[in-house]
Amino acid sequence: MTAPTAARASDSTVSVENVSRWYGNVVAVNDISFAIGRGITGLLGPNGAGKSTLLHLMAGLLRPSAGSVRVLGAPAWRNPSMYRSIGLVPEREAVHSFLTGRQFVALNARLQRLSQPDAATAAALRTVDLEAAADRPVGTYSKGMRQRVKLAGALVHDPQILLLDEPFNGMDPRQRLHMTELLRRMAEEGRTILFSSHILEEVERLADSVLVVYAGRLAASGDFRQIRRLMIDRPHTFNVRSSDDRRLAAALLGDASVFGVNLVDGRLAVSTSEFGAFARVLPRIARDAAISLYELTPTDDSLESVFAYLVRR
Amino acid sequence: MSLVEVTFRAMLGRRRTLLMLLLAALPVLVAVLARAGGARLDDGLTAILELGVRTVLPLTALVFGVSALGAELDDGTIVFILAKPIPRWQVAAAKTFVAGALAAALSVGSTLLSGLVIAGLDPTGLATTVASALAVALAAFAYAALFVALSVVTGRALFVGLVYTLVWEGVLAGLLPGTRAFSIREATLTVAAALAPVGAGIDGDIELGQAVLLLAIVLAASLAVTTSRLGGYEVRGTE
Repeated sequence: MTAPTAARASDSTVSVENVSRWYGNVVAVNDISFAIGRGITGLLGPNGAGKSTLLHLMAGLLRPSAGSVRVLGAPAWRNPSMYRSIGLVPEREAVHSFLTGRQFVALNARLQRLSQPDAATAAALRTVDLEAAADRPVGTYSKGMRQRVKLAGALVHDPQILLLDEPFNGMDPRQRLHMTELLRRMAEEGRTILFSSHILEEVERLADSVLVVYAGRLAASGDFRQIRRLMIDRPHTFNVRSSDDRRLAAALLGDASVFGVNLVDGRLAVSTSEFGAFARVLPRIARDAAISLYELTPTDDSLESVFAYLVRR
Repeated sequence: MSLVEVTFRAMLGRRRTLLMLLLAALPVLVAVLARAGGARLDDGLTAILELGVRTVLPLTALVFGVSALGAELDDGTIVFILAKPIPRWQVAAAKTFVAGALAAALSVGSTLLSGLVIAGLDPTGLATTVASALAVALAAFAYAALFVALSVVTGRALFVGLVYTLVWEGVLAGLLPGTRAFSIREATLTVAAALAPVGAGIDGDIELGQAVLLLAIVLAASLAVTTSRLGGYEVRGTE
């Protein structure tokens, strides 16, 4: 789709211009351009789509094979001073497991050359609600606690930009809620937050704007509601099993939301352009025709197929 | 908690420390056996001190050198260090310093103990032992710098390091004298020989100036390589 980029160039804190990244013959990121600004942007895509590659390119931890990545106007690659403004939470779980949570966050504070590292450490631990476990070795932490201690390390220097790779992985519902509230609060304070996820609902709950990546390409970007509508109102196919498939097929064809029916091997496949409308009319049509519905199965409802559809658009 | 402190903590894992302590104890054990067997002071001391230079020094430097950065590169925790606004040379220097200090501590300790066991308080023997210990301490940092650099250049740093110490320094230096000019071991022996009393029996096959220059070049060039590679570090295992 040709959606607007997530932020106007003038407002952008991170801009990605015609960036590609390949490993030998494998193209991980393919000619992607966008800009993001203040607020929360979700980087959405199935596993292996190129989200982490894109995030690492923005974090200056991968060299673009082509194109350029700029953070606050400066190149991201080979620019360590950029990390004064960036906090990064990588997806990989590995943390220096022999350190306590407090020592890990303090290490981040000292490497950031903060004037009051201990005070900043205490504040960051309080922010992620990890004070009670702060003096335990990170090696004893649960997955969710590791995510939080990584986040504390990333925001100990109060960065303007936060890059988070699958930050909700391993968190229980309470921790997710806490993380969601925390990120919202930080976004309200004027920060640029980009987080990646392969879960649509996660992005929907949190992000103001979204970047959809599929197979290394930017499938869509912009306002999440517009993209969500596109995802829902795309052609869908359902398999239906009923007491009289043939009569149901004839009745369904009379409805505007249905643009095709197919009876193959005793199965009724229905193509519809409007997911919501079809879901509403099907029971009514069946009831009016005195047909019993036994089964309704979407054939292409995986997130993968949604992304593939967006790329084709 | 500084980068040096974190590196020390990371390096002093129980198993690695135990293995290195056992390795460092080897010349001491040999010295005890030699002393018990009535070894002569002049030959015995030289042989024991050279054993330390040939085994404990390069192997401890190799193990600490390749793991100072290599372990963090392997498990990805290096990202927490490199995603910070610190010059890369400081990271390279901190890692090299820790690896060198640990290798020096074990090698120097091993040299002093094994020398004392053989020579006792004999003035010449003691002076020779201290001279070897000083040379070993100096060389530990050159070796460590080399192996830290190897760990950022190749994923097989341990293997390449072993080939260097065992094949290049161990075999080729014996067969082809010209290769000794590029041997940290020969440089160490030369420095030790220069510091030891005349007639101590330690032989170095290269000139003292050449030895000092070699150690300095290895240290500086290795730090430069490590710094450069860290500057262009790319995260591994990205989807």
